[in-house]
Amino acid sequence: MILGIETSCDETAAALISEGGRIFANIVSSQADLHARYGGVVPEVASRRHLELVTPVVREALGMAGATLDDVELVGVTTGPGLIGALLVGLSAAKAIAWARRLPLAAVDHLDGHVASLYLEPAPLEPPFLCLLASGGHTLLLDVADRGAKPRLLGTTLDDAAGEAFDKGARLLGLGYPGGAAIDRLARDGDPEAYDFPVARVSGFDFSFSGLKTALLYAVRELEAAELELRRADLAASYQRAIVRALAERTREAAAATGARKLAVVGGVAANSELRRALPDAALAPLELCTDNAAMIASAARFTEAISYPGYLGLDAYASTA
Amino acid sequence: MLILAFDTATDVATSALVSDGEVLGERVSTAVTLLEDLDALLRQAGTQTRQVEGLAVGIGPGSFTGIRIGLATARGLALALGTPAAGVSTLAALAAGAPRAVPVIDARRGEVFVLQEEPRVLVPGAFRPAPGTLCVGSGAVRYRSVLEAAGAEIPPDRDERHLPRARFHAALARNFGPAEALTPLYLRIPDADRTRTRA
Ligand SMILES: [Zn+2]
Repeated sequence: MILGIETSCDETAAALISEGGRIFANIVSSQADLHARYGGVVPEVASRRHLELVTPVVREALGMAGATLDDVELVGVTTGPGLIGALLVGLSAAKAIAWARRLPLAAVDHLDGHVASLYLEPAPLEPPFLCLLASGGHTLLLDVADRGAKPRLLGTTLDDAAGEAFDKGARLLGLGYPGGAAIDRLARDGDPEAYDFPVARVSGFDFSFSGLKTALLYAVRELEAAELELRRADLAASYQRAIVRALAERTREAAAATGARKLAVVGGVAANSELRRALPDAALAPLELCTDNAAMIASAARFTEAISYPGYLGLDAYASTA
Repeated sequence: MLILAFDTATDVATSALVSDGEVLGERVSTAVTLLEDLDALLRQAGTQTRQVEGLAVGIGPGSFTGIRIGLATARGLALALGTPAAGVSTLAALAAGAPRAVPVIDARRGEVFVLQEEPRVLVPGAFRPAPGTLCVGSGAVRYRSVLEAAGAEIPPDRDERHLPRARFHAALARNFGPAEALTPLYLRIPDADRTRTRA
C-alpha cells in the first residue's frame, strides 16, 4: 500500500492506494469554510490548521482502509509547489512516519499529482494525451507522453489562474468563497450571451484572465444596486462563459498543434459544469479527485523515483518550480 | 525512560537523546535537517526508533513555521511508533539552561518573546530588565545593543546558553500523552485575524 499526504494549500489530505492504483481511502479535510470569512486562503491560517489535521487524516485513512502502517510500503508526499509553510507540515509528518518505519519516501510534485489523478482505478487513462490543469493556483496545458516522464509544458497563465479568476469574479459579484462553485450555480439562471466579456488573445498557448476580471469590475460598477441584483446571474453566466471559452479554445488549439488524440482536464476547475460541457470528449477524473487530494499524490508516487532511507531525512519543500 | 527531545522553534534545531537523565547525545542544526540529527543520535547510541519511550518537543514561542516543523515531526513519530509526547516551552528550556537569566527569543518584525512570569511578546525597547540581568536567546543576541543599553548582561554571541538545548526539554518534560494534544505556543494571532479584529 502507498500512503499519500497532501498539504500544499487549503486541503489537509491523506490517502491509501494499491500499487495498481486502487483507492482504499481518500480523506480530504477541507479548510474552505475556515478561509471563506477572509475571502481566500490565508497561508498562516492554513498552516495552523494543517498541523491540527495532518495526523488525524492519516489515522482516518488507515481506519477507512482497515489497514495499519505495517501495510504501508511507500510514503508519497507533496513537496511543492504550494504554500511553503503548509507544505512543510505535511512533509515533516511524512518524513517522520517514513523514518520511524524505515520506509522509502517519494517527493511528489503537486502538478504531477493532478495529472496522476487520471491514472487511478477504475478507469485509468493511458498516455499520450493533452492535459489542461486548471485550479486556483495553476492553469497549464501539458503534453503528457508517458506516466513516468515530466510532461512538456505548452502554455500557462500570464497572470491569474483560472480558479483565481472565478474567485475574484465571485467576489466582485458579492458571492462567497470558493468562487468557482458559486458562479457555476448562479450561472445556471443567467444568460451567457448577455455580456460580451473579452478574453485577451495572447501568443502561443498561454492564458490571460486579468483583463476579463477588469471588464467584470466595470460592468458591475455601471449598475445600481437594485439593477445588479437583477443582472447578477447574467453577469456570472457571461463571465463563466468567457473563462470556459478561453480554456476550451486553447486546449483544442494545443491538441491540434500537437496532434494529441486524447484530451484530459484535471484540477479544481474541472468540476465546472460549463467546462465539462465545452470539452465533452475530454477525460475527467471524478470530482473528488479533481480538487486537491492525496490519492492523486499517492498515484504520482508510483511514477516518481522513491528515495530510500536515509536519503530523504534532509528533504526540503519548495514554493514554486524554478 | 529513553527520551528523544527536539526544538525547532528558533533559527536552529536542537535535539538530544536522554536516558534517565543521562545525555547520550546532543546535536544542533536546522529545522529541515532535524530528522538527520535524530537519526544520528539514535545510531550513535545503538538504539532503534521503537525503543524511544517518550518525545519531548519544543512548542515555541518562535518562528511559526519552525514550531510546526517540530510538532508535525512529533505527531508523525507518535503516530508511527505509538510513543507518547510532552510539550516544553522553548522559553522554559532556555531558562533551564541559563539559571537566573531571562530568556529572550527573536520574534521577528522588531519584537521579542520574553519570559517574565509568563511568556509575552514586546518590542525590545519596552523590555526593561533590572540592571545586571542576564539575558539569553536569539532575541538577546539580535537586540544586544538595545538590551545592553537598558542594563542587561548578554553572553558572547556563540555562547551555548543562547540555544534552547534539547537536554533541558527532556529534563522539563512532564505529563507525557498523545502528541496530537500538544498545542503550539504561537503567542500571536495570524495577521489576517488582526486586521479583521481592527476592522
Ligand atoms: Zn492543486
